[in-house]
This record gives sequence, C-alpha cells and structure tokens, in this order.
Amino acid sequence: MTILYFSLHHFIIEGHKGVIGTIIVNSEGLPIRTTLDNSTTSLYARLLRSFTTLARSAVRDVDPQNDLTFVRIRSKKQEILVAPENNFLLIVIQNPSE
Amino acid sequence: MSLRRKKGAEVEETLKRIQSQKGVQGIIIVNSEGIPVKSTLDNQSTVQYSALIHQLVMKARSTLRDIDPQNDLTFLRVRSKKNEIMIAPDKDYFLIVIQNPSA
Repeated sequence: MTILYFSLHHFIIEGHKGVIGTIIVNSEGLPIRTTLDNSTTSLYARLLRSFTTLARSAVRDVDPQNDLTFVRIRSKKQEILVAPENNFLLIVIQNPSE
Repeated sequence: MSLRRKKGAEVEETLKRIQSQKGVQGIIIVNSEGIPVKSTLDNQSTVQYSALIHQLVMKARSTLRDIDPQNDLTFLRVRSKKNEIMIAPDKDYFLIVIQNPSA
C-alpha cells in the first residue's frame, strides 16, 4: 500500500516543472524507483538516508513522542526534499527557484 | 550610537520581529562552533537544540558537498509532528527558528 502511494507520488511529482529527479528508497536503504542514473541515485540514497536518520534522532532527542515528517535542504544549486514514510524515503530534487 | 551598539540593537529588533510572528516558539542564534549566543528559550532547551542542530547543519553541509563540492547550504527545514525547525546558515552564525507549523 505504501509502495503504491509512493509510486503515485513519484509519477505525479515528476510531472512538475523544476523537478530534477525523484528517488524512492526502501527500508533497507535500497533505491527501488528512480528517474536518475544509477550512480547519482546511489549517492543521493546513501547520503540522504544517513541525513534523515540523524534528523529523526535529533527530533526524538528533544521529544521522544515527536517524529520527523519532512526535510527540506536548500542549497545554491538545488533543493532536496525528503519525506520519510514507514522507513521508506521519498526524495525529490528540484530547482531552488521553484 | 556606536556601530557595535547599533548592530546589537538591530539584532534585538529582528529577533523581536521574528518572535512576534504567530506560532514562533523560540529563536536561537548559534555561532560557527555551535555555541548559542542568543536565545529566547530556557537554558536547557537552548543547549540541547544548539548541539543537535549544529550536528545536523554540519551533516547537511557535508551531504551537499559530497554531491557537489561547489554547492553550499542556504536553508534547512526540519518538520516534525509537533513543530518545524528552520535553520538559516550564515558565514559566522546560524539562526534557528522553532515554530508551530499550523500557525
């Protein structure tokens, strides 16, 4: 069910202007859907999974009842959005100006 | 007013302005070493947030540099069920604003 939800999100998001790529990473950290090349996908998946884990533990350290729902990393050249869901990750990379 | 005092007053004004926005729970200014230099929260929360967010900012920066060494962090938003933490990095400091997202 989650995979279906994510796949829908994935295809809908990809249609938006300014989206450079989308990646879905499963609970084991393996990319299961991507619109980017293999090496870029692996790099983003690995780095963002690591970042998300840190962000989630920071949130939980402040309040164990709380949980991470979204991360937005904005940089000069692009913006990376990460939506964690049931140990999966939906990653969207887009132009920062959108 | 001396330049230093004028700048100090400007900072205070900016903080007041942000603090008066609906939903803002706290503001912390952290220096490049992760030490809080100004905060509207209690000591314990300030120290805790500063340490955790400093770590997170370092990680966000290295993540971006691993992808593209020419790139750098301009803004970070960490949203959770109960609040949203916004982090604006600058050359020597970063500004942390904790707000209630529904406001």
